[in-house]
Amino acid sequence: MKIFAFLVSFYIFGEASGQDQKVIYQYKKYEKFDLGNLEVKGQLIAPGDISVRERDRKRFELDLYSRKDFDTFIKKDIESLR
Amino acid sequence: MKWLLLFIISFSAFGQTLSENLEKKKYYYSALNEFFMETYSKEIKVETVERLEKLLFFTGIELLEDYEHTLLEKYPTSSTRFILARRYFQKKEYKKALEYFGKVHLDHRYYPEALLLTAQVHGNLDQFKQEEENYSLCQKAAEKEEGKADGVKIKRYYRMIYEICLTNKARRLYKEGKYKESLVAYGQIPKQSYKWPYIILEQAWAHYQLGDFNRALGLLVTYKSPLLDTYFFPEAEYLTALAYFRLCLYEDSLIVINQYYQFYRPRFTQLEEVLRKNVNSQNYFYNLMFKTNDELKKSDGFVEHIVTRLKKQTRFSLDFNSIHKIDQEIIRIQKNEKKAAQDAFVGHLASVKENMINKINYNAKTDIFGFLESVPFFSSELFKVNLEVLSRQKDLVYSSRQLLNTRSRGDYSNVKRSRFEQFWKFEGEFWGDELGDYSLGLKSSCQTVRTEGAGE
Repeated sequence: MKIFAFLVSFYIFGEASGQDQKVIYQYKKYEKFDLGNLEVKGQLIAPGDISVRERDRKRFELDLYSRKDFDTFIKKDIESLR
Repeated sequence: MKWLLLFIISFSAFGQTLSENLEKKKYYYSALNEFFMETYSKEIKVETVERLEKLLFFTGIELLEDYEHTLLEKYPTSSTRFILARRYFQKKEYKKALEYFGKVHLDHRYYPEALLLTAQVHGNLDQFKQEEENYSLCQKAAEKEEGKADGVKIKRYYRMIYEICLTNKARRLYKEGKYKESLVAYGQIPKQSYKWPYIILEQAWAHYQLGDFNRALGLLVTYKSPLLDTYFFPEAEYLTALAYFRLCLYEDSLIVINQYYQFYRPRFTQLEEVLRKNVNSQNYFYNLMFKTNDELKKSDGFVEHIVTRLKKQTRFSLDFNSIHKIDQEIIRIQKNEKKAAQDAFVGHLASVKENMINKINYNAKTDIFGFLESVPFFSSELFKVNLEVLSRQKDLVYSSRQLLNTRSRGDYSNVKRSRFEQFWKFEGEFWGDELGDYSLGLKSSCQTVRTEGAGE
């Protein structure tokens, strides 16, 4: 048990000290691709027909107002009397 | 003080109350106020009730609109019950409203109006059968009272009640989806009626719902007549654009929309700015009602149109008539009575008059702003039609199709008509007779064909 506790504390100490190290990442500043020289492995075939499957456009129809009743007109008529 | 006034007013008729003497001298508005003060704390007899009805016959019930509920409850007249029933109706206490409308005597002058409101209560409670029955009873009662009435204005009031009951029947049928039946009911309203310009729009909707877009468009064209230039409804413009859209006449639809945006909308905005500045005024809208047509034209044609429409309302006639009669009473008191009597009654009459002015001002303001508030809604709906038109046109391009029929003049073969609808060919008739009977004969353009050269 003591040995296990010692190993754990050693590990934690090691991790903590590792965090202090400053890691510097460097990226390539310039890279040249010679596309003409690139080789693609596999069988080269020419497309015989348009391979994109046609699908219907999604239509979003707006809900255009259609009068269901004349309740507001009835109210107005009554109010117009007195 | 009372005895002194009584002495001054009734020098020739001792033994009568002050209100009786005022009534005798035809100072009805002053008498009404005194009547309540004299009788409120006493037992109400049959004669008291009859006297109140007599006074209200001359003054109208508009004055009592602000009176306390308990005071009105004390006098069991048909007039007071009618006012109380209306209050319950406005508060949506329908059971009580029905109870009080039921207490209005069937020979009373407000009986037809009580039936109209009773029908409306049943309508609000979705009791359609009772609603229709009461509208029919209302029509009969209004016709009966119209026959008995002497004055032109009173006859017009009952005619208005009759027509509202008939129109509401048609509206009920429309709500139930019985469009053909509703059109038959609308057809019974004569063109001379005050309601007729308003119901053109409703008839157009019924034709639209039946798929007869040509007839709907024809009816809406009626609003372009110079005779109806005071009737402008944004909803009519919307329905026109929508009917063209349903016929796939997209260009026509866009013309209506563009015209609305370019011509009407800026004027609405301008008008709203002017009116909003005076929204808190106690008399701006009242004064607006009495400006001459030339003065109104200076501000905006729309104001003139709206004011003309408002002046045709029964409510305005009643209220204005009350003000006129109060003015006459004030003049007669100032001319014929002593200083003490003038001091006692003129002040009260002036405050009653002010109340009536405030009421007209409020009603005019509510109506004008109600109209203006309908504008943004239909502007937005027109914008949606515009988007739909553009979307449909884009679809045609994407699918390499075009509309089968190009827009051309209409043809008689596209006109639908019932056996009750006239069919004019505009040969030798007076143009005014045909108002409200127009139909366009445009062919639907909704079938499409593949565009030539597409897919090559």
